[in-house]
Amino acid sequence: EGSKPLSALLSGIAQAAYYGNADITEELLRGQLYPEAAPEEFRALRAKMGGLLQSIASADMDLNQLEAFLTAQTKKQGGITSDQAAVIAKFWKNHRIKIHESLINQSRWDNVLKNMNWRVDLKSQSRHIDQINTPVAIVEMELGKNGQESEFLCLEFDEAKVSQMLKKLSEIEESMTLL
Amino acid sequence: AADKIHLIPQDFFAELCEQIIQHLNHKIPGVNTAELCQRIQTSGIEINVGDLAQITNIVSFLFSTAARNNLSAEELVATLGNAVSTLPKHAVQVIRHVWNEQGKSISVSEDARNTATVGQFVDVKWKLGVAMSSDTCRSLKYPYVTVTLKVADPSGQITDKSFEMTIPQFKNFFRQFKEMAAVLETV
Repeated sequence: EGSKPLSALLSGIAQAAYYGNADITEELLRGQLYPEAAPEEFRALRAKMGGLLQSIASADMDLNQLEAFLTAQTKKQGGITSDQAAVIAKFWKNHRIKIHESLINQSRWDNVLKNMNWRVDLKSQSRHIDQINTPVAIVEMELGKNGQESEFLCLEFDEAKVSQMLKKLSEIEESMTLL
Repeated sequence: AADKIHLIPQDFFAELCEQIIQHLNHKIPGVNTAELCQRIQTSGIEINVGDLAQITNIVSFLFSTAARNNLSAEELVATLGNAVSTLPKHAVQVIRHVWNEQGKSISVSEDARNTATVGQFVDVKWKLGVAMSSDTCRSLKYPYVTVTLKVADPSGQITDKSFEMTIPQFKNFFRQFKEMAAVLETV
């Protein structure tokens, strides 16, 4: 009853701030969730909840940090009630991973590997007579920046080149143990 | 761009022609125009990679046409026709010399043009990083792999292509190449 609108409000805030949904406006949220509230009152509530969610998401709080943070907020002048704290805690537990992923994506500005396909061909025609009937892998990589048009990179790898790549990829995997 | 050939000193032009012939002979995967351009620039010559790439394409086309038509060095120089008077003498000399030495060994098959959409993998560089913090998130802490592929495009130019992968994406990438190796072995 009291917690449903708040929970939905937090979802709406997350939609706009983290999931890129520009359709979720303040007006829409007020009309749907707090129709009796005055616009100023609602704006203040939305700003407060948005600010809290921002702090929690920015620090990627774990449960301990979250509890300490929310408890402090309940003790503040003009803070939140313990009921509201409970709703926020539940919301964060459910959405933490997805919101964190969204924040990660927002900071990936360089080319990313969007997709990769491959097949193995038997080279039947070649510039070089000794390459005929050797198998080659044709790899297609879709590269691009988030939200921008992709570039398709199409490369040929013979067995030796695949080995070369595997060797380097093993190096990467090894270095990941340092993480 | 042809007039930019004037800017290139003889020894650099000779090196360029050498690389082009080696590429046409399949001894090297491509011409490293970016690297050559940097060295030319370091010696004080003002030429950009775009111009050098164009010159490379022109000379490459010249040599492959000559190969297809089995031209001798003199016939090749004659084909340059009108261009000969505008090309610097040292460039014509280099072209004649390089063709004399290595022109015979080029075999250009008819389907060379048909394999034009696929590039060749040359090499790969990598780094593993962790993004700590950003303006939208103070506690990002996400690891990622950045890979730079050195690629020879169908025309023989070597370029770098970089991209980033998350750890799960990297693991998938690695797995795909292992599958590729397995298939290549069994074919």
